[in-house]
Amino acid sequence: MADFNVRSDSVNVEHVMEQIRARISEKRGVDYTEQQIRELAAVKLERFLDPRGVRSDLLDQFRKTQPAYEPPELPNFAFEDETLFESHRGPIRWIRKLLLPILKLFFNPNPLIQALHIQSRLNAMNAERDAKLESARRAMDQLYYELVHNLVIETTRLGIEVKNLKMRVESVSSRLEFNERRARALESVVVYKSSGADESHVQPASAPATPQPFTPPPSRSMPLQPAPSQPAPSTGAAPAIVQGQPAAGTGQGVPGEGPGQRSRRRRRRRGRRSGATAAEIMGPAGSPAPGPTAGGPARTDSTDPVDHDAEHDGAEPHGVEPRGAEPHGAEHHRTEHHEAGDAHAVAAEAAAQRADRASHPSEPPADSGPVAPTDPGPAPTADSGQGGSDPDSQ
Amino acid sequence: MKVAVVVQRYGQAINGGAELHARYIAEHLARHGEVEVLTTCAADYVTWRNELEPGVGQVNGVPVRRFRVKHERDPRLFAERSDRVFEQPHSLGDELDWLDAEGPTSPALVDYVAKHAAEYEYCLFFSYRYYHAYYGTRAAGGRAILVPTAERDLTVGLSIFQPLFRRVRAVMYNSPEERAMIHAVSGNQNVPGVVVGIGSDVPNSPQAGRFRQKYHIRGPFAVYVGRIDQNKGCNELFEFFQGYLNDPAGKLSLVLIGHSLLPIPEHPRIRHLGFLDDTDKFDAMAAADLLIMPSYYESLSMVTLETWALGRPVLANGKCDVLKGQCIRSNAGLYYETYGEFVGALEAIEQNRWLAGTLGRSGRQFFRDHYDWPVIERKYLEMFERLKTGAAATVHPLPGWFERRRRDLPAAREVLTRLPKGPAGIRS
Repeated sequence: MADFNVRSDSVNVEHVMEQIRARISEKRGVDYTEQQIRELAAVKLERFLDPRGVRSDLLDQFRKTQPAYEPPELPNFAFEDETLFESHRGPIRWIRKLLLPILKLFFNPNPLIQALHIQSRLNAMNAERDAKLESARRAMDQLYYELVHNLVIETTRLGIEVKNLKMRVESVSSRLEFNERRARALESVVVYKSSGADESHVQPASAPATPQPFTPPPSRSMPLQPAPSQPAPSTGAAPAIVQGQPAAGTGQGVPGEGPGQRSRRRRRRRGRRSGATAAEIMGPAGSPAPGPTAGGPARTDSTDPVDHDAEHDGAEPHGVEPRGAEPHGAEHHRTEHHEAGDAHAVAAEAAAQRADRASHPSEPPADSGPVAPTDPGPAPTADSGQGGSDPDSQ
Repeated sequence: MKVAVVVQRYGQAINGGAELHARYIAEHLARHGEVEVLTTCAADYVTWRNELEPGVGQVNGVPVRRFRVKHERDPRLFAERSDRVFEQPHSLGDELDWLDAEGPTSPALVDYVAKHAAEYEYCLFFSYRYYHAYYGTRAAGGRAILVPTAERDLTVGLSIFQPLFRRVRAVMYNSPEERAMIHAVSGNQNVPGVVVGIGSDVPNSPQAGRFRQKYHIRGPFAVYVGRIDQNKGCNELFEFFQGYLNDPAGKLSLVLIGHSLLPIPEHPRIRHLGFLDDTDKFDAMAAADLLIMPSYYESLSMVTLETWALGRPVLANGKCDVLKGQCIRSNAGLYYETYGEFVGALEAIEQNRWLAGTLGRSGRQFFRDHYDWPVIERKYLEMFERLKTGAAATVHPLPGWFERRRRDLPAAREVLTRLPKGPAGIRS
């Protein structure tokens, strides 16, 4: 009966295993990546540097296990002139001495005696020197051991210190980054500082503003001024805004302000709106709380320097601004904080947010989609952008 | 035809390898003739305590005659005697003492075989290493057929078993490796023998999805089925698989099925489901990407065959000659001896679907060709026919008192190390 002769043609497991083994050997020999090698080295180093693995009494242990050196008693002999003829028996010693002249007739024993004598002395000297060398070597061994021991401890300490320093460097770099960002933010605030003439126009803006019907934003080519259909705000906000605009109507809200700064500022403002911020918490108690008329889809936002800039960026069309446009009060507060410095600016921003929320209790959240305008008005220009297509509006 | 199946334990709930083997063979041979099982009242292979009633009963329609065990195993004594015969030069008496300590010592069973052997055409003795096989084959004389279920362990190096392998009428081997090992240790090439193995009742349509749903298992996984024990190589399996889990490219989980004698590593990708019934076990095998068989000592590994029957590949321990030989002969499984090979083979099966599919198909074909029940039954029946014409070997009496005490036998370990290693055909 034939036993077990199945040999599948499609696969040969021995061949497969050879390939697997070849791959393993290849990987072991060549295929270690730099990172793998580093990891392996790091593992070994870590294990070696583990401070718990270093015994403080290592040297004592070494000394204990190392017995005190005692030079071995090497065999030697004393060889003098009489050694050849010595005997504990007196008569024999006498006979040997008596026959010595006869012996010297056969050969001269003196060179032999001298050689053996010298050899004996050499043996003693060598033994003594070996003992000295061995004891010196053992002393040096202890020194080397102590040195290596100290090196291990120092390396361990240095390893730990390096780790600590790495952490400190990370901490300092993160703080540096934070400070840089803060500095940039403050710089942009300083750039917005208005002239004294603005103050007179800005000041009345703290009065409550009445809600305005929707008006499409002006096109970029038009000089920025209140639309004819738009009633002028009673608080004189519009003139203030008009004066705040550059004469050429180029869309540049503040001289020297770059587009990046504008977008940063816009994002910052949105961030503040989205929830309670430090500025809100730190808001001064004396900051005026805007009245309910300060909110609403304010058409005057179209003349706001900031939002006007936004329009020209194609970022925030008024008609579709989901969070609603900022009230006049808020804009004036912002202008104030340009003047009063950083802390006041933050407080004013917080007050503006409070006013915003107070005046729009049922305002949809930022991500609830565009708000349909109540008054369609003239169609917005292409430059003014469409809320639905602007990612910033979401 | 009337056949006696003589085995150390027997029962529906007894799932040891040799015992299950004996039950399957008894039940399948019962379709071709009269079969009676002779066994002990023991159910536990460690203590051999008499737990079942002596006398005649039936298991799955096969009559079973049980005999009491004379004494339970004394673990301390057994360990002492094992140490003596396995590790030191010793005498034949030491080995017989070891056999007595190992058990199940049931002189009543041996007496029954001696008295009633003539009533049976053949007596099939399972597991050469136990008391019933050593003395029972002597009692049965020329009717004794041995199913050794031998593994490459120290027991095979004991001297008392060498004449046992030579004096039986025939030997039904589980694998070519087992046959080669027994040939080498005992020189029984003249004894008729055939590699048979054992079949399995694998369901035609196991439900992989049912298993995944029942045990909330998702994703690819490898399965281990069997006792979770150090002797089965599970420690090494855990060590290797935990190393594999560190590889981010590997996605396989490990599902363990069987009673555990070891702590299972705590990892989300290692699941221990405990003992499952056959339905769930086959479902699990069908759902698995592969079976891992980490055992060092196997004479056959039914689980491996069942996995192949279900068309799944196997990753086996290459240190086990039988498993490695089966993988090579079937071209249905890969094998490992080191951690690198384990991970490499696992990844090869995991990532190369063609390879996994081809291995599985080869395994299914291998099972059908060699381990399907009709094939197994035919091999037994052919052997019975063949033995009708042959002459029985002579059973020599046990050595005398002085010879039994002569300490001239080498340690079993020494004998074992001299045996050739490796799969049959490529042995070293």
